[in-house]
Amino acid sequence: MKLKWIVTGIFLYSVALYSSVFVYSLQQKTEVVEDAGKLLPTKMKVIRSSHSIPDLQKWIQEEETISIAGMQHSQGGHTLYPNGTLLDMKSYNKILDFDPGKRKITVQSGATWADIQEKINPFGLSIKVMQSQNIFTVGGSLSVNVHGRDIRYGSLIDTVDSFRLLKADGEVINVSRTENSGYFSYVIGGYGLFGVILDVTLQLAEDELYQYRTASMDYQEYETYFAEKVKKDKKVKMHLARLSVAPGTFLKEIYITDYVLAREQGRLKKYSILKEEELVALPKLMLGMSRYSEWGKNVFWDTQKKFFMESNGKYETRNNVMRSDSEFMEYENPNRTEVLQEYFVPVDEFTSYIDDLRKVLAREELNVLNITIRYVEHDEDAVLSYAKDDMFALVLLINQGRSKQDIQKTEKVIRKTIDMTLKHGGSYYLPYYSYPSDQQLKNAYPRIEEFFKKKRELDPENRFKNLFYERYGK
Amino acid sequence: MNNRTFITSQSLLMTASSIAFPFYLLLIRNIGDSYSQFGLAYGLFALTGALFHPVVGRLSDRIGDRPLLIVYTWGMAGMMLVVPIIETVFVLYMLQIAMGVLGAVQKTVEKTALARQYTGTQTGKKIGNYHFWTNVWGAIAVIATGYLIDFLTIGSLFYLASFLYMISAIMIMKSTSSKLTFQKEKPVQY
Repeated sequence: MKLKWIVTGIFLYSVALYSSVFVYSLQQKTEVVEDAGKLLPTKMKVIRSSHSIPDLQKWIQEEETISIAGMQHSQGGHTLYPNGTLLDMKSYNKILDFDPGKRKITVQSGATWADIQEKINPFGLSIKVMQSQNIFTVGGSLSVNVHGRDIRYGSLIDTVDSFRLLKADGEVINVSRTENSGYFSYVIGGYGLFGVILDVTLQLAEDELYQYRTASMDYQEYETYFAEKVKKDKKVKMHLARLSVAPGTFLKEIYITDYVLAREQGRLKKYSILKEEELVALPKLMLGMSRYSEWGKNVFWDTQKKFFMESNGKYETRNNVMRSDSEFMEYENPNRTEVLQEYFVPVDEFTSYIDDLRKVLAREELNVLNITIRYVEHDEDAVLSYAKDDMFALVLLINQGRSKQDIQKTEKVIRKTIDMTLKHGGSYYLPYYSYPSDQQLKNAYPRIEEFFKKKRELDPENRFKNLFYERYGK
Repeated sequence: MNNRTFITSQSLLMTASSIAFPFYLLLIRNIGDSYSQFGLAYGLFALTGALFHPVVGRLSDRIGDRPLLIVYTWGMAGMMLVVPIIETVFVLYMLQIAMGVLGAVQKTVEKTALARQYTGTQTGKKIGNYHFWTNVWGAIAVIATGYLIDFLTIGSLFYLASFLYMISAIMIMKSTSSKLTFQKEKPVQY
């Protein structure tokens, strides 16, 4: 009798165990992936990565839906699609050709800016346009058409000579301003919807020695300062400003760093060793404090300002300026995340824009930790171009919860902010979370319908998909 | 069920729960996306536990500890099979309620069994010994799991725990039913 019960128990248990393991292994087959925004964990069918073009071609023909990924620092699911195949391009990262004389380099799209810097630094060359950090892949950066601290070379698109594109039908084509030129302005800033960027030929600049020039001022003086001391002075090559989010000086105080061509260019060699990531504990601690308290924000602002102001007169090479620290911003909290927003505002609207921004943020609850300001020149080469004018680009770092309610709360504030930005003739940047409404997208990017129409024309089977397309393009 | 079986099976239980518990906590946190959901999940567990303690206590007086321990061990073996595959907060809440009931069974029955078995002299010593052995196993399991996790997936840790619960269940089923539960005091001889 007892034995019968034990056997029955073991039998039932075995059935249950088998079912559980079966379901578990099915679940494990899909992979949950998320991008740097951490708001869109997405189950992908499989992650594929290769350095061979035939492999990539084969997958494009076999797989139904493909999302292309580099470092996945976009935050709106631009590299994700439920049950799609994630093409991880990070291992497709060789430097194919480098011609120091012509100042050209050809790299595979998974190469990072850091890879390029290491290659070209010994030759006294430097990248023309990239983000402030060097951790990103070239392919990813092209797909969002990035800009950075440089104020003389425009957006990334202006520095691209040509690239090869693997299309939805498996064909590989050369794309430049003269060859298959129809693709050029769509693929750059195209968020991976037109094909896989294989290799890219970029123009390079000369590495130069810069001297820091720092200043702090009231926001009302910034427009004039920038016009007179920065824009007009050809010696200023790069520029970065920070706007206070500390309660004591909220959106009023600005301090700036200009990177001015140093007179002593002969000393470049002395400074040209590439710097590595510095100690992150202290800035990390301070950023941590500023997440949770007004007091922390004041301390962070004052210390940061003091630190940056003291760097006045310091020498640094262009390559090293383009290797900014990023590790201290890494944030591991299971319930909260840090998202970015970037707003473009015409240079001459700056003062009135900041006044309006202050009004919006004073009324609403949004934990803004940091605002940096960069300059980007008028450039409408890309179909989805953000620089409809000479613009200041304000990047906001926002701490928010990951729950549905938190997302809705942030969305409400951000939509208000974008409406206000659009009223000033401004625009917003697309790689971030899909907070903006469809109407806001249309207003900020008047060619968006043309963009999606072209996407469907060039990729009729919708092979390349991502959550950005899913949200706005359908 | 004699004392030895009881201690061995309880040690096995302790080992199983020590393996699963830290990762179970992680899992609750990951499935729920806010502390309020975490709190609710835990509250449900505690509340159902509270409500079931008196019921379990009465039940153990009526049907004895052994059947309840069998229910608990099989129940937990089953639960540990569900844990690796849950995906929604709702299922997690359901699981927490079920675990609350089972937790009440284990907590109450552990004590009733101890009380019934260790009456008479040196009760303290016996209970001390009992806790010593079960806790040693728990401690070993926690430490070992810390190393194991580098080699095993979280899912397989839950399966391992489930397996241990099952062994414990069979062990209790195999034991004879009379000894522990209906242990009569020896008639006093004059």
